[in-house]
Amino acid sequence: MTAVTSFDAAPTDPPPVPPANGVVFNGAESPFWRLLARGAALLLVTLGIYRFWLQTDVRRFLWNNTEIAGDYLEYIGTARELLLGFLVAIVFLGPLYAIFGLASLAAQWLQQLAGLFSLVALAVLGQFAVYRARRYRLSRTVYRGIRFHQTGSAWRYAICAMFWWGMIGMTLGLAYPWAQASLERFKMRNTFYGDLRGEFIGSGTRLFFRGVLLWFVVVAPFVLGLIVAGAMFDGTLVGEAAKQGTRSGTNALDAAGTGPAAAAAILGTIWLVVAVAVLYPTFQAMVLRWWISGLRFGELTATSHLRTGTVYRLYWRFAWMSLVLALVVGVVGFFAAKVVFGADTSAGGQRMPFEVVEISLAIGFYVITALAYSTIYQATVKLPFWRHGFESAELKNVEVLDRVRAAPATGSPVGEGFADALHVGGI
Amino acid sequence: MLAAGKAIFFDGVTSAKRLVLIELAPDVLVIRDEEHRDVLAHWRYDRLDQIAAPSGLLRLGEIGAVIPARLEVRDPALASAIDEASVPVDRSGAREQRSRLKVIGWSVVAVVVLVLAAVFGVPALADKIAPLVPLRAERWLGEAVDGQVRKMLDTGSANRPFECGGGAGEGPGRAALGKLVGKLEKAAALSVPLDTKVVRRSEANAVALPGGHIYVFEGLLVKSESADEVAGIIAHEIGHVAHRDGMRSLLQSAGLSFMFGMLLGDFVGGTAVVIGARAVLRSSYTREVESAADRYAVDLMNRAGGDQRALAVVLNRIAGAIHPGMEILRDHPDTQARVKLINDLATASAPQPLLEPSEWAALKRICTGR
Repeated sequence: MTAVTSFDAAPTDPPPVPPANGVVFNGAESPFWRLLARGAALLLVTLGIYRFWLQTDVRRFLWNNTEIAGDYLEYIGTARELLLGFLVAIVFLGPLYAIFGLASLAAQWLQQLAGLFSLVALAVLGQFAVYRARRYRLSRTVYRGIRFHQTGSAWRYAICAMFWWGMIGMTLGLAYPWAQASLERFKMRNTFYGDLRGEFIGSGTRLFFRGVLLWFVVVAPFVLGLIVAGAMFDGTLVGEAAKQGTRSGTNALDAAGTGPAAAAAILGTIWLVVAVAVLYPTFQAMVLRWWISGLRFGELTATSHLRTGTVYRLYWRFAWMSLVLALVVGVVGFFAAKVVFGADTSAGGQRMPFEVVEISLAIGFYVITALAYSTIYQATVKLPFWRHGFESAELKNVEVLDRVRAAPATGSPVGEGFADALHVGGI
Repeated sequence: MLAAGKAIFFDGVTSAKRLVLIELAPDVLVIRDEEHRDVLAHWRYDRLDQIAAPSGLLRLGEIGAVIPARLEVRDPALASAIDEASVPVDRSGAREQRSRLKVIGWSVVAVVVLVLAAVFGVPALADKIAPLVPLRAERWLGEAVDGQVRKMLDTGSANRPFECGGGAGEGPGRAALGKLVGKLEKAAALSVPLDTKVVRRSEANAVALPGGHIYVFEGLLVKSESADEVAGIIAHEIGHVAHRDGMRSLLQSAGLSFMFGMLLGDFVGGTAVVIGARAVLRSSYTREVESAADRYAVDLMNRAGGDQRALAVVLNRIAGAIHPGMEILRDHPDTQARVKLINDLATASAPQPLLEPSEWAALKRICTGR
């Protein structure tokens, strides 16, 4: 070997390591906007086939710019894997959809049942896909040369998730904290960084007490409105009047208190919608803080210092950008429609190609608007959430990450394919 | 050119961060531990894999390695030296761009193929498959569809049954209908038994479903002025049954739904494309189908001994009431085109009216009974 004298005179040393208890996100917004905008244009041209490449690019951007204790995360998934997974999923789902379609054409009672059954089946499949997709993403994440992986049965997760969502429905949302705690425990206990096992110690009860006031403010007036409406509205009077005819019907409706009852119900619903819109960011920030603070990998702990104000700010930005988009679309659409439909004076044989143009224009407009909206959402909501979620986390016992050994495992991209084919999204 | 430099190495077995010294030997990269100077790995230049990394960092792995060992180079001079020495490593990104352009190119080709398949392939396939569907299967399907269609069409007006001909005074009308349809059926000689009904709906229209079900709407009887006109419409519907258009339309619809619905996947706005595509493409299919049914009707009326031009007359009369609109989305081609086609096809003949005047009068009253 040649002499190694040049080593000691190396021009630069590796840069100093940033504070060990921090996570830093180095991705700037404008390259991300450019990435998304170019991706949206290509999605349009390829009718969506490009989505696998776009998703891979987005994940690479997010992962590769996330610095934990001085080293960057790495995403090693490829678009080809996603495409393959999607094609395999189609092979399974195609016949399934065909069977559902045929079943819906069969006898009447079977139709009703088939509709309900397919809804439930698709919901279960959706949860299955979510778990498998998480497994794929974890298995394609590398940190310091060691892969993450996920164990556990996706079907079991799907059944658990269905059970908990049923509970949430039945309790008007009160069961949510315990549902999340249980499902996260399941997921994290099956999550590994090399041979380091994950854990989730977030308490459902604690989240409940933090959030119950919020729930009360949102749900209680709505339920109250319904109860008042029910009390004020005397159904029997209306029933009797219906037998007698329309004239006494309207009088009976008045006497039955339909007016005030309807008003109460409507007020309750308006309150529900407004309260959800205003308080959702608070709720999201609360849950995210609780979730991050509950994550554990061995001795490694995380504490989230995410500010609720940050979440409101990012949603505010998203809101006014969407408004601007809506205005632009409205104005452009108005003028385009005038031009196109105004020029439509031909009749008879000329009509067909012209109408194809009209319809294609309308569809194209809608698709472009949807793509623009999605781009804005990803850049103003998803990226900031990723950044703030990570940067607000304070890590302790980071030295744990220095002593991890690799474990053998892979995750197939079929889960991801299912998620795409079932339209169940994610990051 | 630099022959050596410092970097960070992760061996992929443990997560320990190793400070290493890199030597650029003629064929391989030699990776040595900085402290102990022992060789940790030899990586060949032609097997170096450049992995996506934040800017300012050159992240290297080995192509095809199962263990994700990583070399991270922050020293810009060393990075350019490795870039030059290794073919697969290309920090300018030109390779990546070329391969991405190929992907885009092939995707556009795929879209074009998809659209062509939808416009030409799906109807051709449906045409091939429809005749292969056994008649019993089509009848079974017909029963199912019939049930659904009834539910859709039946407005349930004022406690009267959906089907005409069962009530008081409606019997003669039903007999007249039976005679009229019987003449057509005999001339058509189909392998499927027909089930023709007049139903209480005010539109001037008639529909044929798979399996031989034909619904004639009351509105059509109101607008017609002779039995031959009604016969012309029914002959047109029989044409649909004979060509198994219901089955073909079902197959085309299913094929299109599958293609655009499933293959587009989680594409934002994809649903709009699906709906739009289906609407536009389905309507252009049905134009041809309707023309074929018109041809069949003219021929059938000839064989049954009725007035071949009656269909054109009634179409003209009905169309006068329809507003012009989104032509392409109306399932029947331009009425003028249809009238012209029918009149061109009609041969010279001296038709006898298919029903006696009293029978025609009874048929007109099939829904009202008086």
